[in-house]
Amino acid sequence: MDQETWKLVLEYLAVKEDLSSSKAEIALLEKRLRNWVDEDDDREEQLEAVLLLWQDTAQPPDDGLWKESFAGLREQINQAPVKKFKLLKWWPAATAAAIIGALIFFIAGDKKLLTSKQNQVVWTTKTAAPGKIINVLLPDSSEIWLNSGSSISFPQNLKHAGIRMVKLNGEAFFKVKRDPAHPFVVKSNNIQTRVLGTSFNIRAWKNYRSEVTVLTGKVAVSRDSAGTQSAAVHLLPNQKVTYDTKLALLVRENVEDAKTSTEWRTGKMYFNKTPMEDVFQTISRKYALKVVSDRSFDNCELTAKFDNVSIKEVLRTLELTFDIQYTINKQTIYIKGGRCN
Amino acid sequence: MPQNTIAGLNADNNKKFDEKTFEDLYRRMYPTLKKYAIYLVKDVEDAQLILNDVFISIWKNGTILNNEKAYLFRAVKNAATNYHKAAKANLWYMDSEEEFSEIIDVKETPSQAFQNKDRNRVLYTLIDQMPERRRLIFYMYRIDGFSYREIAVLLDISVRTVEDHLVKGFQFLQQKVLENKSEFR
Repeated sequence: MDQETWKLVLEYLAVKEDLSSSKAEIALLEKRLRNWVDEDDDREEQLEAVLLLWQDTAQPPDDGLWKESFAGLREQINQAPVKKFKLLKWWPAATAAAIIGALIFFIAGDKKLLTSKQNQVVWTTKTAAPGKIINVLLPDSSEIWLNSGSSISFPQNLKHAGIRMVKLNGEAFFKVKRDPAHPFVVKSNNIQTRVLGTSFNIRAWKNYRSEVTVLTGKVAVSRDSAGTQSAAVHLLPNQKVTYDTKLALLVRENVEDAKTSTEWRTGKMYFNKTPMEDVFQTISRKYALKVVSDRSFDNCELTAKFDNVSIKEVLRTLELTFDIQYTINKQTIYIKGGRCN
Repeated sequence: MPQNTIAGLNADNNKKFDEKTFEDLYRRMYPTLKKYAIYLVKDVEDAQLILNDVFISIWKNGTILNNEKAYLFRAVKNAATNYHKAAKANLWYMDSEEEFSEIIDVKETPSQAFQNKDRNRVLYTLIDQMPERRRLIFYMYRIDGFSYREIAVLLDISVRTVEDHLVKGFQFLQQKVLENKSEFR
């Protein structure tokens, strides 16, 4: 059906469905449409098909997406934050400028700063190189296991700070020393985790859904946009929260055994419907290798559990599962072929 | 997911606007309004935040104006305008139709979708493959019943452009239905 006819059909339908239209108006358009139909044999059928198309598009199918979204809204209303959170992430540029400004101030004017009561805080950063897992003991006796390719920063006065604040990039397991008077706060990617004394695992790789899983105690997780927190989601042992960036929503769920989330500490790898892109990232961090693969393969998902095995064994499994070919050249793995099953 | 309800937490909500009405309103408005917010701010996460803010303020007021649809779209537009003021140098904002027409959601290919035989679902799978602006116009027109003129104002485009998108959108659907007649039933 050509554009002119479609315009006519749409005009007719709009007028017909508008209760304020007069009978004469409708009749006029009906007549024009009739004229078009009468010009050719197959047009009656065409018009019928088009009207059916119109009818069948009146409502979108309920895909349930709104439900999740509504649940997030409900949570926000229920937990009614004391002050309405402002969408500060809208000013990333301004924030960055402020940070740079503050840094310059720190560097250029630390003498002036010291005249105030504040002491300059020195931050320490520990990094686990690819292929390595390290154990860090913090000044307050909290213990941290850092997964390969992750880093943690903490202030040297952690033990005496009002709030024990640390920053995490990547994945880590925490055993926090109990000290109710001084909450322990982990900032990572786009979430903030607040505890008193517990053990829990945080996954916060860049460009990946952040996850916090609790083994013991109680944990509060909130969304962190440029330093402004949303209402917190509270977690108990064997519960985890995932941050859905698309819906800007923290989703809480129960897990069978929270310990699975910390098995990376013993070199185990655990994948559950994990996209291959992420699998390769995990592998390259754990084995300190570079993975070069066909991009079309990235959408496949892997569900598998590896004990602390050699990279060869991992690749053999992938070979069998996805029908891939691989070659290893120094520190790079080249993967060819492969299809999802 | 929170299982608790809203009831009781906002003591002064008046009767004409209860939880059910609110949820209903959200369910009806979500498909198009979310797309509209994304269209305006070009960011899924921020679009969600805007949407939530608008609905939270409605909930707090406890009432809604007679023309809820027009009100909600205007509220989202205002919020998006403030958003742009806030992020003056917004590199993500693109006005070019062509740039966005490339982005096609290929979550489900039509042939897969045809297999489920649910005509309405299949049609919406196809509609969701239209370029972003066309799809939004289609939703606003067909689902929310906005007129050409109202859509033109909300999207800051001409009435002719609105009509053109709709006609092309319907032509696209018609063509797809014809191409897949056998499977389509």
